[in-house]
Amino acid sequence: MSSSLTLAPAPPSEAAEEVRTQVREFLAAEQAAGTFSTHVDTWLSGVDPAFSRKLGERGWLGMTWPKEYGGHERSAMERYAVTEELLAAGAPVAAHWIADRQSGPNLLRYGTEVQRQEILPRIAAGECYFVIGMSEPDSGSDLASIRTRAARNGDGDWVVNGAKIWTSNAHHSHYGIVLVRTGPPGEGPRGKHQGLTQLLVDLSLPGISINPIRILDGGHHFNEVVFEDVVVPGDMLLGEEGAGWHQVTAELAFERSGPERFLSTYPLLAEFGRRAADSGDAAQLATLGRLSARLLALRQLSLRIAAALDRGELPDIPAALVKDVGTTFEGDVVDEIRRVVEVTPSLDSPDPLDRALAEAQLHAPGYTLRGGTNEILRGIVARGLGLR
Amino acid sequence: MASDQDLVVETVRDILAGHEPFALTAERPWDAGLWADLAEAGLTGVGLPEEAGGSGGELADAIAIARTLAAGAAAVPVAEQLLVAGPALLAAGLDLPSPEEPLTIAVEGAVTAEPVDDGDGPGRWTLTGTATDVAWAGVARHVAVLTAAPEGIEGAVLALVDTEGLATSDARNLAGEPRGSLVLGGAPAAGALLTPARAGEVRARYALARAVQLAAALERVLAWTVQYAGERQQFGRPLGKFQAIQMELAEMAGEVTAVTALVDAAVQTLGRGEDVVLAAAAAKVRAGAAVEVVARLAHQVHGAIGFTQEHKLHHLTRRCWSWRDEAGSELTWSRVLGVGLLTEGGDGLWPALTRVV
Repeated sequence: MSSSLTLAPAPPSEAAEEVRTQVREFLAAEQAAGTFSTHVDTWLSGVDPAFSRKLGERGWLGMTWPKEYGGHERSAMERYAVTEELLAAGAPVAAHWIADRQSGPNLLRYGTEVQRQEILPRIAAGECYFVIGMSEPDSGSDLASIRTRAARNGDGDWVVNGAKIWTSNAHHSHYGIVLVRTGPPGEGPRGKHQGLTQLLVDLSLPGISINPIRILDGGHHFNEVVFEDVVVPGDMLLGEEGAGWHQVTAELAFERSGPERFLSTYPLLAEFGRRAADSGDAAQLATLGRLSARLLALRQLSLRIAAALDRGELPDIPAALVKDVGTTFEGDVVDEIRRVVEVTPSLDSPDPLDRALAEAQLHAPGYTLRGGTNEILRGIVARGLGLR
Repeated sequence: MASDQDLVVETVRDILAGHEPFALTAERPWDAGLWADLAEAGLTGVGLPEEAGGSGGELADAIAIARTLAAGAAAVPVAEQLLVAGPALLAAGLDLPSPEEPLTIAVEGAVTAEPVDDGDGPGRWTLTGTATDVAWAGVARHVAVLTAAPEGIEGAVLALVDTEGLATSDARNLAGEPRGSLVLGGAPAAGALLTPARAGEVRARYALARAVQLAAALERVLAWTVQYAGERQQFGRPLGKFQAIQMELAEMAGEVTAVTALVDAAVQTLGRGEDVVLAAAAAKVRAGAAVEVVARLAHQVHGAIGFTQEHKLHHLTRRCWSWRDEAGSELTWSRVLGVGLLTEGGDGLWPALTRVV
């Protein structure tokens, strides 16, 4: 098979298993203390700054970054184990998730020394949260068509106008990495990739308004973020002017490759496991086996990506593939379970399985949309197959 | 990706090049010529130690051979011999027959084993009854039969039976591979008692062998389909330029990549000598699930020509449709996995999942 899709198997990591045990013990203690209750899709909806700070104190944020920036110089395999345990427990990780997953690595790659010194230690401490500034009201899958623009004023600062949308947890966050047009597009089909730039934007700046958008379960996680003559200091350019498309592609590799792309509905599968254990029902046990086999394959794919990151690679095509397969699985968990269990999905149900099913169902349309629709991802995979 | 197995894979490919796959029939149920070439090159004993009469080499070599032959739709019982029956006999302390004579495994049916003193020392058993769904029945010269131990004894008996003169039924799987029954006449055979765990391991090895074959076949089906989509022109351009076809090929690639990752991990679990039952169950179930998508879309993209015996696609899709329910059906292994993951109760599911591979 095409080698651009396939990665080498991940070598076993004792360090990862050690930290896994520590996280598991921590989570058990926190749950026993009533600090959090398990929910589906908590990396979108579970905002809890106090919990994020606890993770920071334990060294479980910014894990792979250099120590000089507050990181812990641990492997991507260890980070994988930590994130996987947090997701499986349905812990409230949304506050820091974006910053730890992609904004921090993006700053580490392209940020100035001052930007890194200022921000990375705060992310690693669980105190500084980020939003993604990519999608716009008129630009979804066609990301390069964005219209938010920035121009230098006489002081060398950037004046930003436009709007970003689906901006998860902007109302709890401090910064955004915002993709803006700073120059004209070039010629040809890929010409519009030129003239794009990433800016590091403090969300408390004058001229920024954050408007809530409620999703299907009534939850407020999404926002529209509007920029009206927002003056962003000139030194908040991230990376290179005009290199925004290249930088965004790298950022998306981080965004797409983690275990949150197949574990968003794991808390529902866990409830189903309890039900199947109690009932001993043959059909339920078979369904649990089938879903588990899919999950186990996804773990291996995701571990291979973590190992590739440890080798210094940025596997954008395998990441797109894992996200396609993984998010399809997240939705299928809902469908398969309800075929073999009597359910009455309701957010108000006293039954934890009914409740988890309701949460997972109402969040389901998002799984295969966020971070790049599965159609876009399959286009990337098709390119990996040499078809385009 | 270069690997230590490149040489053995090259050798198998060279031999395969002289043996095109053909539609199997009752008259021509296997590729005896291919088997002879493989045996002559020592490839039917790889992964089995030299002191036991094998050719030596690692598990990884035997896996590479089984994969290459599966992708080539080779009609020979090499996976059964190198990955299942051979290692099972050795683990049970039994002698290996000559690797040049095809050896298979039988785990289904109604077979009674009784210990017998035929003057040939201990470890002699008589097996009577019918072993069913025997891969390469009528082709294999020897069969390692796994069956329940006599009443009152826990575990199972594994015995090596010479098939010479045994009655065989002519059942075949969807690809025409022999899967008939063997009527066991009660001639004394060398055998050994296995604990339930050891017997479970033999079944798991068999399932994993089929998963390995499925992974290889699915990879090849994807490659054929991508190639066909690049060559076949409609509306003035190759099929692969249509977005609808690209979506289908990408979906196939996702399935194939997922299967390979899990099967590789399960093989590594086996190689480390760890408990392989749940790993094999997961690999088999995942590979079987992928067959639904990959075979369906491969045929869809190939169009009517792929629906004929004139085209090569059926050699692998028909095998895949059978292999997913052989060595224990997909449903059986799904339940084994579901039950096995809940050994420590519902709350133990996640820790169990992180231990499987």
